[in-house]
Amino acid sequence: MSRLSRAAARWAVRLVPAGRRDWAEGLLAEADQVPPGLARLAWRAGGVRFIAREARLLRVAAQVLVFAAAAAWIVHVAWPGPASNPSTAINRLNVVTLLPVLAVLPLLARWLFGPAAPGRLARVLRYGAYAAVLVLLLAKASVEPMADNPAATPYLNSDASTPVKDGMISTWLSQSVFLLIVAVYVAAILAFTARRSRVTPGTLAVGTGTGLVLGAVLYAIFPIGLTNHTTNPLLPGYAAGLLVALAWILLFGGPILAGVVAARRYRAPERPEQASAEQASTEQASNARIRQAAAAGFLATAVGALTVTALGTATVALMPRAGWLLHGLYPGQHLTAAAAYIRELTASVRIGNYGLTLLFFPVIGLLMGLWAGAAATQYGPDLGGGPPRPPGYTPAPDPAGQPVIR
Amino acid sequence: MRSPSGFSAQTLSVLAALCEEPSQWQHGYALAMQTGLKSGTLYPILVRLADRGLLEACWQDEPVPGRPRRHLYRLTADGAASAAEALAAAARAAAARAAAPASSARRPGLRVRGGRGVAAPGAS
Repeated sequence: MSRLSRAAARWAVRLVPAGRRDWAEGLLAEADQVPPGLARLAWRAGGVRFIAREARLLRVAAQVLVFAAAAAWIVHVAWPGPASNPSTAINRLNVVTLLPVLAVLPLLARWLFGPAAPGRLARVLRYGAYAAVLVLLLAKASVEPMADNPAATPYLNSDASTPVKDGMISTWLSQSVFLLIVAVYVAAILAFTARRSRVTPGTLAVGTGTGLVLGAVLYAIFPIGLTNHTTNPLLPGYAAGLLVALAWILLFGGPILAGVVAARRYRAPERPEQASAEQASTEQASNARIRQAAAAGFLATAVGALTVTALGTATVALMPRAGWLLHGLYPGQHLTAAAAYIRELTASVRIGNYGLTLLFFPVIGLLMGLWAGAAATQYGPDLGGGPPRPPGYTPAPDPAGQPVIR
Repeated sequence: MRSPSGFSAQTLSVLAALCEEPSQWQHGYALAMQTGLKSGTLYPILVRLADRGLLEACWQDEPVPGRPRRHLYRLTADGAASAAEALAAAARAAAARAAAPASSARRPGLRVRGGRGVAAPGAS
């Protein structure tokens, strides 16, 4: 029994972060000095409490429970239905591939890049990404059967001559791409927010903030699927036009702005070993800035795309279930049941186009960020960081003839 | 309840135990015996003190045969100074509480713990 408890304790110590492991080992080693019996048992119980606290076991347990509950809900919604029905097959594919991937990715990211970075922002970004993906899966599972309804066929495929087999191939192909994109999104956010990531908290903040603004504007334009903005049910024409202009500006200007800010805010790491690795030369410092800008640009558009896709798909999934939502989406209109049904069907078909934002936006953001980083490094302040110099600034020479950076 | 120095009563008791022989390395069990704290309470306090640079820790060089090496603790120079200051401040606060009029100790809502009255708001 004693040997078993010692082995269990040795295993439990491995859960504690490396910097705290000595303390846990010291506490457990001290148990041998405590008189056997209840006193030793109480000492070891204190050790378990200490390990649970240092390893943040309660938080991990809560995360696992919440994820398991969400996964169970998704399975409950997605699994039922005849196996011959394409929407059922798609939903089951999503469940059996994406849920295990979502469960395993944090472990893989921890192994490759270390645990989550300290600070609230990294945690919030991880929780937000998981919440968005789980909402998206749940909403998609609800919408798929709607879009697969025979009554929706005219909306599903405008070309009636397309053979069913070809249609199914493209459906499975698009589903596979969807699954891959979602996995890449989650993996990227886990990597960016890991302790060993080179993405700084400032870059995370500016990228995420820009992405949320972009996502909110896009959702206002396309609340029920990516389509022609003139069909926006919410906004009058001129407001939709203004928002569309803003969305275009944000799509290309947002990552540029985020990239410039991230590059300009970047400071060399304070730790000597990182400083030697990161800023041994000016070129390396420039590369580090460009990396920050690219990460900020990618985050700006990825967060925006994920936000509008999750919110939009959830809105469409709720349309047949929440009357208030339909009234909100079509203010002032009295929709008959048939008209509402047609709108729900149309919206359920359109959500597939959100996938285009998931696919292309991060590429745009990455390219814009890279360009902004290169420009900020070339034309911005010196590589020591800090605010831009005033116009006409030149370094003053010191008495020894070496330029002095003031 | 925190002392004027910002340390909790439990942390003060650990500091007092470590101050008894500041140059000597001490074991966790000995500290637990001196302070009456359980291991699950004592060690987080030691970790916090170490994080603040007030405590240093090391592993025993020559363990007793058949027993695991022990983790040892003592105050740093900064820790000894902070501990002396905090303990003196706590002693002054305790003396001030003891000198307060006895009638105030019976005012409603006043808590008395371990024979030491806790000042009510506004009472000094």
